[in-house]
Amino acid sequence: MGVNGVRHGRLCLALLLLAGVVLLSVLAPWLATHDPRRAVPADQFAPPSGEHLFGTDLLGRDVFSRTLYGGRRTLGVAALTALIALLPGLLIGMAAGYGGRWLDTSLMMVMDALLAFPSLILALALIAVLGNGVVQVALAVGMAGIPAYARVTRAAVLEARALPFVEAARALGARPMAILWRHIAPTVAPPLLAFAGVTLSWAILNGAALTFLGFGGDIAAPDWGIMLADARASFRIAPWVALAPGVALSVTVYAINLLAGVLAEHPANR
Amino acid sequence: MVIYALRRLGTALAVAWLATSAAFVVLRVVPGDAVDATLARAGASEEELAVRRAALGLADPLWQQYAVYVHRAVQGDLGRSLITGQSVTEMIGQQLGATVTLALGALALGIALGTLLGLAGGLGPGTWPGNLAEALASLALSTPVYWTATLAIYLFTVVLGILPGTGGDGFRHLILPVMVLGFHTAGSIAQVTARSIRQTTAQGFVQTARAKGLPERLVVDHILRVGLLPIVAVVALQVGFLLGGTVITETIFVRRGLGRLLLTAINNRDFPVIQGVVTLTALTYSLVNALADVVYTLVDPRVRGEA
Repeated sequence: MGVNGVRHGRLCLALLLLAGVVLLSVLAPWLATHDPRRAVPADQFAPPSGEHLFGTDLLGRDVFSRTLYGGRRTLGVAALTALIALLPGLLIGMAAGYGGRWLDTSLMMVMDALLAFPSLILALALIAVLGNGVVQVALAVGMAGIPAYARVTRAAVLEARALPFVEAARALGARPMAILWRHIAPTVAPPLLAFAGVTLSWAILNGAALTFLGFGGDIAAPDWGIMLADARASFRIAPWVALAPGVALSVTVYAINLLAGVLAEHPANR
Repeated sequence: MVIYALRRLGTALAVAWLATSAAFVVLRVVPGDAVDATLARAGASEEELAVRRAALGLADPLWQQYAVYVHRAVQGDLGRSLITGQSVTEMIGQQLGATVTLALGALALGIALGTLLGLAGGLGPGTWPGNLAEALASLALSTPVYWTATLAIYLFTVVLGILPGTGGDGFRHLILPVMVLGFHTAGSIAQVTARSIRQTTAQGFVQTARAKGLPERLVVDHILRVGLLPIVAVVALQVGFLLGGTVITETIFVRRGLGRLLLTAINNRDFPVIQGVVTLTALTYSLVNALADVVYTLVDPRVRGEA
């Protein structure tokens, strides 16, 4: 199998896993066997069985159903987080890379100041300001991701600006916005797409980390981070409570990393 | 060279100062401070709240609070906790040791394991050690710390019963947290190392070395001298991951440390403590990255001309 064959195989695996995770989450209301929030104290810590595929937790809630519904919440928050990081990051990076020296210096000074914080610490500091809740988690983690995406965008735009055909377009008198849209945007798209994948997997892990730490609002909600937090108290007697949400998180992040890796190896990115 | 090093360290300090000033402003403009969190919840009257705020300096204009803060911070005084009244510098001092020990242990393990996996993956793509190394690296990058920690406690404490799981301060209590955090630190290091070695292998001087019949052992030596350089940069970046990772690790393993201090402060809206921990983190992270840049120019003569 050649290099292309390997890449094709990886791409298929990544898309298959992602499609599976998204489908299971979207179809949760039809696939779930129980109400994900309903506590049945009599069923506490039931091991996996035909009735409860992945067993039950401390409150007797069905782990299988909670994992399915958890995907909706966890992935929904992650998608929102990624948007909050990507859109401003893209705009700031484009402006800095194309807007001239003064704009570049001042914008990047702010971004560098934000990059002085490790991203999870910055997200925690923001959550201290914003308070608890899912939207707050998305905002905190997303805003913490803006500077990195702005930096990557700026670097790509600067590189594209120096390309011969962009210079040629400028020499021919094309308007700046037209050059940005017709020549630079298509050139920078592949690396920025690959880094968007990295941002998404990072959004899932950090967002779930904040909900795990207890900042995700409603603690009864089905959510992979909350499920893993609940599992801390009970995995010693009922290990299955930690299994499904952990596997779900890892498979999702693995698939996105794989996809980002394939995109980064795209011929346009070398 | 010395001038470059000094300039780089100066920039790092300036950036850290800018960052903490931003944090100062943001942490103070929000509605709802610790006075709300503690006294108001206990049912104090509006006048009592105002008196308490004035005593803590929270009623002064923002620029005045900032001037006082900077003046004291350069003398090592980061203010006092709004909850306990204890000095923030003292509180950090009490927790610092535990976190530094955990982070340094995890960093050492992460560098060793990451370099090893990176070498295996980079030098032998397609062989079984190479594939295993790549699989382990992507596992480290896709599993959350809080999950592997749970699995590790289950395996080593509940099933095998050979290591203590949560709580405690001793050396044996450090092993599992260091293993878990170190494993995740290794992920990026392995990935960057492997990629760098593969790129170096494809370069002209390596092909020349092979073409002239140099023994493979010496060819590998050529590759490593260039291919291992990016480790310096990625290790510095991983320090950022570690500083966040200790917060989670300390929570799961119920350990003392800055992470626990920060989380408690966030829940209590104890802003001086949050500010203190965040400032220290930003300063550490900026200085480590500046140091990495300087080390990089020292070990790689190619970038010296540009510096």
